[in-house]
Formats: sequence, C-alpha cells, structure tokens
Amino acid sequence: MLQYVNVTIDGAVARVPKGRSVLDAAIEYGVCIPHLCHVPYLSDFGGCRLCIVEHVVNGRSTITTSCTLNAQEGMVIKSNSDKVKKLRRNIAELLVAQAPNSRAIQDIAVRCGVKEVRYPFRRGDCVLCGRCVRSCTELWKAKAIGFVGRGKNRHVDYPFGVHPDFCKHCGYCTQLCPMSITPCDGPMKPGQERLCGKCDSQLQVTEEMPDACVWCKLGEGFGCGRYA
Amino acid sequence: MIMLDSVGDLEAARKKILHQQQKAKKIISLCGGTGCQTMRSLAVIEAIRDELSKHGMGEDVHVRVTGCHGFCEQGPLVILEPGNIFYCHVSANDAKDIVSKTIRSGEVLERLLYTDPVSGDKIRTESEIPFYKAQDRQLLSQNRLIDPCSIEDYIATGGYSALAKVLDKIKPEKIINEIAEAGLRGRGGGGFPTGRKWTECREAPGDDKYVICNADEGDPGAYMDRCLLEGNPHSVLEGMAIGAWAIGANHGYIYVRNEYPIAVKNARTAVDQARSMGLLGENIFGSSFSFDVDIARGGGAFVCGESTALMASLEGKVGEPRPKDVHTVIDGLWHKPTTLNNVETWANVPLIIINGSKWFASKGTKGSKGTKILALTGQIKNTGLVEVAMGTSLRKIVFDIGGGGANGNAIKAVQTGGPSGGCLPLDQFDLPVDFDVLTQAGSMVGSGGMVVMDEHSCMVDVAKYFLTFLQDESCGKCVPCRLGIDRMLEIITDITEGRGTPGQIDLLKELAETVSQTSLCGLGKTAPNPVLSTLRHFEKEYEAHINQKKCPAGVCKALITYSIDPEKCNGCGVCKRSCAHEAILGIKKSAHVIDPYLCQKCGICKSDCKFDAILVN
Repeated sequence: MLQYVNVTIDGAVARVPKGRSVLDAAIEYGVCIPHLCHVPYLSDFGGCRLCIVEHVVNGRSTITTSCTLNAQEGMVIKSNSDKVKKLRRNIAELLVAQAPNSRAIQDIAVRCGVKEVRYPFRRGDCVLCGRCVRSCTELWKAKAIGFVGRGKNRHVDYPFGVHPDFCKHCGYCTQLCPMSITPCDGPMKPGQERLCGKCDSQLQVTEEMPDACVWCKLGEGFGCGRYA
Repeated sequence: MIMLDSVGDLEAARKKILHQQQKAKKIISLCGGTGCQTMRSLAVIEAIRDELSKHGMGEDVHVRVTGCHGFCEQGPLVILEPGNIFYCHVSANDAKDIVSKTIRSGEVLERLLYTDPVSGDKIRTESEIPFYKAQDRQLLSQNRLIDPCSIEDYIATGGYSALAKVLDKIKPEKIINEIAEAGLRGRGGGGFPTGRKWTECREAPGDDKYVICNADEGDPGAYMDRCLLEGNPHSVLEGMAIGAWAIGANHGYIYVRNEYPIAVKNARTAVDQARSMGLLGENIFGSSFSFDVDIARGGGAFVCGESTALMASLEGKVGEPRPKDVHTVIDGLWHKPTTLNNVETWANVPLIIINGSKWFASKGTKGSKGTKILALTGQIKNTGLVEVAMGTSLRKIVFDIGGGGANGNAIKAVQTGGPSGGCLPLDQFDLPVDFDVLTQAGSMVGSGGMVVMDEHSCMVDVAKYFLTFLQDESCGKCVPCRLGIDRMLEIITDITEGRGTPGQIDLLKELAETVSQTSLCGLGKTAPNPVLSTLRHFEKEYEAHINQKKCPAGVCKALITYSIDPEKCNGCGVCKRSCAHEAILGIKKSAHVIDPYLCQKCGICKSDCKFDAILVN
C-alpha cells in the first residue's frame, strides 16, 4: 500500500507518496522547479543542477537537487528563495553561454532570470544532459550511445565511435535532445550569438513574476507536468 | 607458514619470531620507499648485500628493506643497529665503507651523518635531528622497524594483537564506542567522525556489508597514504578487519591507484600472507568472524577518490559520483551498507584499540584528536612526510620541522589540503592543524598535503595551476563543475595574460560560490577553494594583474619583461650562450641587452647569471 508523507514546499503542504522525488511532487502540485536533465520516466542523475532547492533541516539549509531528493515526512523545501534563484540563474547562464543555439536552453535562461551573459559565448552543440544516453540505456536497453571521456572532453558517442548494429533506430535520442529545438530565427551566425530573450510574452511573465512557469519549449516537448 | 587458530597461537608465534630475530645482532634498515627508490636506494641495497656476502657476514647482519622513513629530502636513508646510527644521502659507493667500517668495527662515518643546517653539527641518531624531534610519530615510527613484505616483522612489533583483543573479548558495539570516544575523524579530507559512520553502518538494515579502504590518493604533492600502504600494509589490514567486525561486514576492498606499483605489490603480498596465516579468511582466531580483502586497482581518475565514484568504479562502472541524498553507509557498494575510510584512518584503528581511546584523545585539540601525517613539499628545505599531533601550528610545521624556505627565500604561503584546500598566508601561520579551524580560515586539512610557496610564487598562477588540474580531473557529469571550473579557468587565464578587467573579480567570486554550493560531489564543492582563498588573502596580487598589468612575483609570462642591468653586467657572455632563442645580444666584456621580441621569457638567463644582472619587471 502506498504510504503518503507531508512535505512543505514553499510554505504549502503537499501530500505525496513516500519515496517520490521532491521535483515530481512539486510539479504535481503546480510548483514549477526548472529542470533540464530530468525526464519523468527515466532515472534521475542530477547532472544539470537546475532543479536545486533549499532543504531545511533543523534550521540549517542545504542546497541539493530536488530530482534526486526523495520526499520524507516533515521535509521543508524552499524552491524559490533568493539564494536558490541566484544560484540557479548562474547555472542557467553557464548553460546558455555554452549552447546559445537551442531554444530550450534559451527558454530556461529566460525562466531562470538571466538578463545578461557575462561569459563569451561558445557554440557548444551538447550540454551533456544525458537524456539521450539514459533513454537509450534504460528505455530501449540498447546502449547504443554513452558518455565518452572525462571533464572537458566528455561527449556522447557510439561505442568506440562506430554506429553499432544494435542501435534500434528508434530516434528517441534526437527526440529528447534539447539541442534539437533551434531558436525561432534559426541557428545564430558564428560570432553573433546572444541571449535571445525575445519571446515577449515569456519575458513579460518572468519580469513580473520571476518564479512563474513560462511554459517553456522543453516542457512542451518532453512531458512537463504542465503539459501532461 | 603456520596457521594461527587461536589468540594463544599468535602469542606463541610472536615469541618464536622474536627469538629468531634476536639471532641477528646487527640490523641495517634501508629505506625502500618511493622517494628513496627514485634516489637509487635499490642500488645501495644491492651493493650492501654484495659487500656483506663478500665479508662473509650475510648470516649475522639482517638487511631490512623498509617503507618510507619520512625524511625524503635526505634520501636514500640507512639506519644501523645497534647504535641507531642514521646515515643520509647514501650512494652505492658508500656500501663498502658502511660494511667494513661501521658494521665491522663500529666506526661512524662522519660524511654520511646528517648536518644540522643551523649549527653545522653532525647528528648521529634519528631522534636528535630537528626534523624528527618536533614530530609525534605514532604511525610512521613503525615503518623503519618493519619490512612491509614480512608479516613476521609486523607480528614481532605487536601486530594483530589488536585484532586478537577485539575478537577475544570486545563486543562490536564497544569497539565503535571506543573509536567514537577517541574522537577519530576521517583522515581522507572530510573529517567525518569515524565512530558515527560506523554506528550508522552497523545500524543500517541488510546482512551483506562492506568495508573499503580508500587508497586512491591523487592530490598533487601528497603521498601519505602511499607510504603507509607501502611501508606498513598490515596495519591497514588489521584496522579493516577490526572495522569489519565492528560493523558486521565480511568483505573488504582496498582501492589503490595503479600508479602506486609498490603499494599495490605490498598490499597484495600482505593480503596473501595474512590469508596463509589465517588472519584473513574463515573463522579468524577460531571465532565466528570471517573476513577477506580484495585489492582493486584504480585507473588513475582523481574523482575516484570520492566515495560514490570509487564505489561505482569498484562495481565496474564508469567512475562518476552519484547524488548522496542517501548516504553510502546505507546505500553504498552494490547498494549495500558500506563503510569507506582512508588508509590513515584504518591504520589508526589498531593503535586506538591497543592504547585505548583516552590515549588517543589526549593528543590533539578539542575537535580534532590524534596525530596527522602531512606531506611537506614545495619550496622548503626539509621535504618529506611529517606526523604531528593535531593542533600543531603551521609555523612549527613549516619552520621548525620544514626548516624554512629553500635557498633562504622568504616563505609567502602554504597550500593545505591539496587542490581542494586553500592557500594560507604567512600571517595566518599560527593557525593549528585542526579540521574546523582550517575550514573556517577558508582552507582545509584535507588529506594532508602541504605545499609551501615562497616569494617567487604568483598566487594567481597557483590558483590557475589548481584549476587546470581540477578541470582536467572533473568527471564532467554536472554542469557547475564542468562548465563552472572551465569558466573560472578562462577568467583566470585572462587575468594572467593581461586581459583582465576589474569586474572579473566579482564574477569570479560569484561563480566560485555557485560551483561550491551546487556541484554534485566533493570535487566540485571544494574546487573553488584555491581561487577563493587566494582572492581572500592575496587580492592585491589579482588587482596588480588586472589594473597595473603587472605580476608582482614575476611569474606570469605575458606580464613580465626581462632586461639586463648594465651596471651589474660585466659581459661574461654566459647568458648569451645559454639563451636558446638567441635573444641576447652584446659583445664580450660590455653590457649585453635582451631583444624583447625574440625573448621567450624562459628564465634560463636569470638562473645562469652569477651577477644578478637579469631584471624581471
């Protein structure tokens, strides 16, 4: 039988099944915690760190990712304190500076309140969110792609760089990839990368209500609780 | 080898070994640690053995090849018994004199004795040398008495009696109590109370539990764990067996770097010997306790020193950390409760059991008990392994034990705790080595690496070095660590190459905070420490780089120019000959000049000039 626990998220008490992640619980209750690497039906590996929350235990708060934090009785979570917002904005800024050519990433940056990017843009074509790798490994058990290399050299590749016969050609990897959604104007020209922030409706929403869900492109494509 | 089926057997075996060892009247202890081996101690050992057999003394003199003695600066080291004569900088050519003079007739060779750098006196024994005198060597003092490949040596010095004691009459709960009361804290860097870790692991549900020894030491300049595992592997094994009995585990792993070949070999030998004597395996000492250890070799990833990454690596997966919202003492190796401790922590366990928690707690400070091994390296006179009681001030370590700056240079800072630690300036040298105090000061005890820097070190460059190391070693799984460190390095490189702007210091601080707060594992969480601590204590240097485009220490190549002082230069031409880029022009016996366009700023001319005529601005 399912056990239920009470978790306080941003002051509201949520009743969620024991063991469910705080992120899932929050989305279910309409609290939008930005996230990138989390996919509802895949395991969580805490890579993008966008879904960080403050977990308050005995008056001391620790920063942790909500996707890997399991709900327990009496938990107190703050998902949009000033501290969390600032850290989240910095992470989103790092992401958008790395991969400005993705509408999904641009949306996340707007959502997290990035107003300017203080680093030189790069034209990265992968943010290593691991959506493709985990879907290939966990959903289809194909293991046709995986992470290769370490640190700066880490990238997604086929085993030994050769397209294997056991790839099932399901196309799920590209479907889940946040980089597959290009900005509205098409890919940016080299040297002209910028923080898009163009969607007037979104910009307005984030400026007026910085914590509001902007119904981002990523959420639409990948089954965010809002679109379900 | 004999099987030890009961505690009585161990005592009998010890008596027998001691009796046999007393036959050899004279002992030559040669350091076979990695430091001395690089200085050709193996050739010395070979030469001494040859000499002994030439003189027909192979039977009477026992040659013992031991682990590291600590004073690596002076290697290769030889200690002769009786008399406890300490020879340093021994070469193979000295073997003849050592055997024919010291061993045969007891004559002490003055030229091989240690010279006190202050008074110039020759010092005969180890305990009189200032480097050793100021230390409190509990773990390392065993090293010179033990051949790491001989279990007999270890048993003779009282080894495995702690294991016998606990299996015979101490309940597991009481062992944990004893460790907790001793106040032992994790020596790998975190400083987590060991007793609490064991309690949590013991109480965790599940029958299969594991103990792991973390010997994946990777900090630049640190080699404490290496020397312990190389020099005294049985103490680690004994500690692990005691820990396993306390938490209810039956299997252990030693995860050791493959780059430590001697440590791997000695640990393997130790495990084989312990198995053959029944000290590992089924029903140890006739008790119900069974325990075995496997050696796993690490592939050289720094991040695999992190507990969850290490366990992933042990499981055969890619060595990447995973979120620790559920601790490894509950959900560890193969999702079983696992206790992971550092080599030094395990080696401390038998000492606590034998001497009692009160003895251990009597050393150290309020929050940090016992002794700590530190690897003293950098621009300092006496490099080597140092073991001091917790609470010893940095000043005492650097100046009394370390002997101050090499070549008489003024010391500027010390980097404690490796790449995850921070730099502390000279005015903070009164801080004690204490987990909490150093963390408050923006650094950490860490695993115990201590890199000393003198006035010729640029702190921005130091921060850049550590960031380069961490960027290389980051696994790349989480965004703040992968991209954050990369961007920090980008900014610092800009600063050192003269492209810095005033706003970058604030950006650096903000980014450092983001990385330390939001990273997935300990590597990322502590990665900004070198930047933060240098910014905190040496912000002026950063400002000089950014505002005046100058490197005060004269290290950052883009910001310095070499020139020749015409007053001092007598035109000897040494620099002209040594310059690989033909950037120095001039005729003999008149002042030379450096062509700034050709100069590559390698600094060879400066090191070659005997008249200090090369100026760096």
